[in-house]
Amino acid sequence: MEKILTRNIHKENSQSIDVYEASGGYQALRKAVTQMTPVEVIDEVKKSGLRGRGGAGFPTGLKWSFMPPKGDKPHYLLCNADESEPGTFKDRLLMEKDPHLVLEGCMASAYAMHADACYIYIRGEFVLGAEVLERAVEEAYAKGYAGKNVCGSGWNCDLVIHRGAGAYICGEETALMSSLEGGRGNPRVKPPFPAQSGAWGAPTTINNVETLACVPFILERGADWFKSIGPNEKNTGPKLYCLSGHVKRPGVYEAPMGLPLKELIYDLGGGMLHDDRPLKACIPGGSSVPVLRAEECDTNLDFDSLAALKTGLGSAGIMVMDSSTCMVKSLLRISHFYAHESCGQCTPCREGCGWMERILQRIEDGGGLQQDIDLLKNIADNIEGRTICALGDAAAWPVQSFVTKFRDEFQAHVDAGRCTVQGVA
Amino acid sequence: MPKVTIDGVEMEVAAGTTVLQAALSRGREVPHYCYHPGLSIAGNCRMCLVEVEKAPKLMISCQTQVADGMVVHTQSEKVQEAQSSVMEFLLINHPLDCPICDQAGECRLQEYAVEHGTGVSRHDVPKVIQSKAVDIGRHITLDQERCIQCSRCIRFCDEVTGTGELDFFQRGDRTKIGLYPGKRLDNAYSGNVADICPVGALTVKEFRFSTRVWYLKNTPTVCAGCSKGCNVMVAVGRKQELMTSPGQMDDGIKRVVPRVNEEVNGHWICDEGRLSYIGLEAAERLQSAQDSNGGELDWDAAVEAAGAKIREAAEAGALGLIASPRATNETLFAASRLVKAVGGATVGVQKIHRGEDDKLLIRADKGANSKGAGEILGATDAVDVLAAAASGKLKTLVVFGDLLNPDDTIDLGDAASNVENIIYVGPFVDAASAAAALRLPTASWAEEDGTMVNCDGRIQSVGRCHRSRGEGRPGWLVAQELLAAAGGESPEWAEGSEVYEEMANELETFRGTSSAGIGLLGIATGTPAAAGA
Repeated sequence: MEKILTRNIHKENSQSIDVYEASGGYQALRKAVTQMTPVEVIDEVKKSGLRGRGGAGFPTGLKWSFMPPKGDKPHYLLCNADESEPGTFKDRLLMEKDPHLVLEGCMASAYAMHADACYIYIRGEFVLGAEVLERAVEEAYAKGYAGKNVCGSGWNCDLVIHRGAGAYICGEETALMSSLEGGRGNPRVKPPFPAQSGAWGAPTTINNVETLACVPFILERGADWFKSIGPNEKNTGPKLYCLSGHVKRPGVYEAPMGLPLKELIYDLGGGMLHDDRPLKACIPGGSSVPVLRAEECDTNLDFDSLAALKTGLGSAGIMVMDSSTCMVKSLLRISHFYAHESCGQCTPCREGCGWMERILQRIEDGGGLQQDIDLLKNIADNIEGRTICALGDAAAWPVQSFVTKFRDEFQAHVDAGRCTVQGVA
Repeated sequence: MPKVTIDGVEMEVAAGTTVLQAALSRGREVPHYCYHPGLSIAGNCRMCLVEVEKAPKLMISCQTQVADGMVVHTQSEKVQEAQSSVMEFLLINHPLDCPICDQAGECRLQEYAVEHGTGVSRHDVPKVIQSKAVDIGRHITLDQERCIQCSRCIRFCDEVTGTGELDFFQRGDRTKIGLYPGKRLDNAYSGNVADICPVGALTVKEFRFSTRVWYLKNTPTVCAGCSKGCNVMVAVGRKQELMTSPGQMDDGIKRVVPRVNEEVNGHWICDEGRLSYIGLEAAERLQSAQDSNGGELDWDAAVEAAGAKIREAAEAGALGLIASPRATNETLFAASRLVKAVGGATVGVQKIHRGEDDKLLIRADKGANSKGAGEILGATDAVDVLAAAASGKLKTLVVFGDLLNPDDTIDLGDAASNVENIIYVGPFVDAASAAAALRLPTASWAEEDGTMVNCDGRIQSVGRCHRSRGEGRPGWLVAQELLAAAGGESPEWAEGSEVYEEMANELETFRGTSSAGIGLLGIATGTPAAAGA
């Protein structure tokens, strides 16, 4: 497939506006603000079938259409660049290597929502990305792609880089708004939804970096072209896959939506890291989504194929585990992450995540009790669906899927008081 | 108005009402911690989850607004399971130190654990350790382990006082309430955070470890600290060791907490009012009628002597009377009757002003019944009476002392040495009583029934929370006895309500009202109820 989102990343000086413009950059923004109405932009994105690349896969155009007509309050577009889901590193690549694509996507989308400002909330650890984006924003302002009278259209919209302080939860859209406003990054109870009352109480839309980066191409080449990529009407467009774990060539791969998982692992990824250690399990969408057993891996990487397996494409962080992997230790690491990152405001997630971690630690340390496996599953069930934001689900799903799909291994760990996986590192 | 069915009961409620409010308004208890009617909705405790038909997940009832045709189940199996699991989560890292916790007996965690908990713990890994007895303010101590992170205290400081001292720090199960750097929880309303804390995490230092709450006798009344007249509940201690014997020993006022009255103080009171009982409890009390040297006098003889002095001075046109703005309407009305019966006197009402009005509840006018005193006795300032006394124009001066704080009893200054007789009527041994030739003890605040009028013109009931000290009796009764002793025609009131009845017949402000009709929440003067409609 022709590289779309990653077409510039290997070019020399790929971060500079000259290189970006030379590849046809900012033409989509110019077209949007001078030849299209905001509604036409939204309609085109709706038609393209673009779904959010941040994790939930919500139809982007539909989300945009929730914005109310322009009233007294300013409108905001927030670009969620707080990429923190373990196993996910695609947005980082775009921001560090092709920042102007991100900015053009932001501005074209901001236009569709009558935004007065677009904030790019970038993860605190992404120092390089933030520096590159800052320079790019300066260039974009100098060339009239942001700020006053964008591309001579009379539309004004500021573009601001805001660095986070290192909390996973700030990638949750309402926590991101709280953090952006200067408060503690706690998610908010919905409703009100951001389009009704978002950042500073004003109508707000939040989109992922990769989602916004798709927009210039949709406007430039048309929704039909975008829709032609991918397996069906509901899973369209080019996609960045983050491959990590026990493979020979981990990294970010661009391929059409619906890429077969095995093709990613064995073809693009060069196969399993050790030839004598076969595939044991794979997490297909970042650490929060349910794990797949090896025999479930004959699937395609798109929203609906993975939903059919009761997991998800999530943020497309594909983590590959070979036969030497201890599932208890892996789950402990995942659970530690969510217990550490839970914001702590709502009860089931605050208390349950730490509890699950401590039980897993006990099993890992050889002190596991017979009832622990059922207890873990039950705690996870009691968290799922009962929290303010999706972090509770994100913490519950791995536990539910690991202890269910690899129950024998957990049982063996408890019985033996130690890891029984052959060749475990 | 939308119609909603909650547990099979169809009800019509105003649009915008939440499911929790609708349920509570019909007497259905939905357990909740973070929801508080005086604060914004946080939705974080997850205790109030209910099942809404056609919704994919359980919904928090505190935030879900009713919609027409909505069908809600607050006790379905799914809901009970959720309540039980939230209870379990809340308790796993809780220290379970009820035996030494002040909140025990009025703790939501205890109550809901009994009602919704499983009774056993599956948590057998180490608990999260947090700090105990953290000194966060002049009056407030924090136990971070007991805290269930409901955020009520944070919201109180953000939304009610606007002082923003508190927030969450750390994350996950290490989350704790704490102070921002350089701040202390020293705002003028800090005690309220302990009231709204559903568990024993925030406690008022002055009450901490002083008694168990089940030994308290609570009486509704009105704070006498300033003219706002905040509605409060006064808790009087009963000595633990005497609980098995018939009759209970009065162990003094242990605490004062706000009583909800949306027309006056909402859910809150200030710290000064909350702690005003401490000065009252510590003050030296006048136990019996006394002469100028503090020698004990027979009550009747003292009243006789005082009556004679009053009559004498009144006949000479040289009687002065100073009323306290913290006295009840009944006492003030009886005093006005006394003055009338003896043919008049120079009468003034003391003014107690300190500081400034704030935006919330604190008023500079510390006279809880200044307005009532003005209605009954006129607007003359007591300093005019003192000036007359100082210039030798008065022979006898009757001084009604303060009922809350001996330091607030009027300073007689030069008047003391230029008047032949000072008759002190009040509860304390204070500067004014020391200057008096005759001293008659009365009940203090919280020791007598009566009424007051707050700064907004609301007539409110004050309640007798415990017995008065020594021979002290209600001020109106003393005034009535003085009236009889001075030779006037005694009205023979037996109860404060009879005084009120007569007052209501006589004075426009109170016309058509009765002390029984005032109720727990008071009535505004000028309303149809007050006008006798």
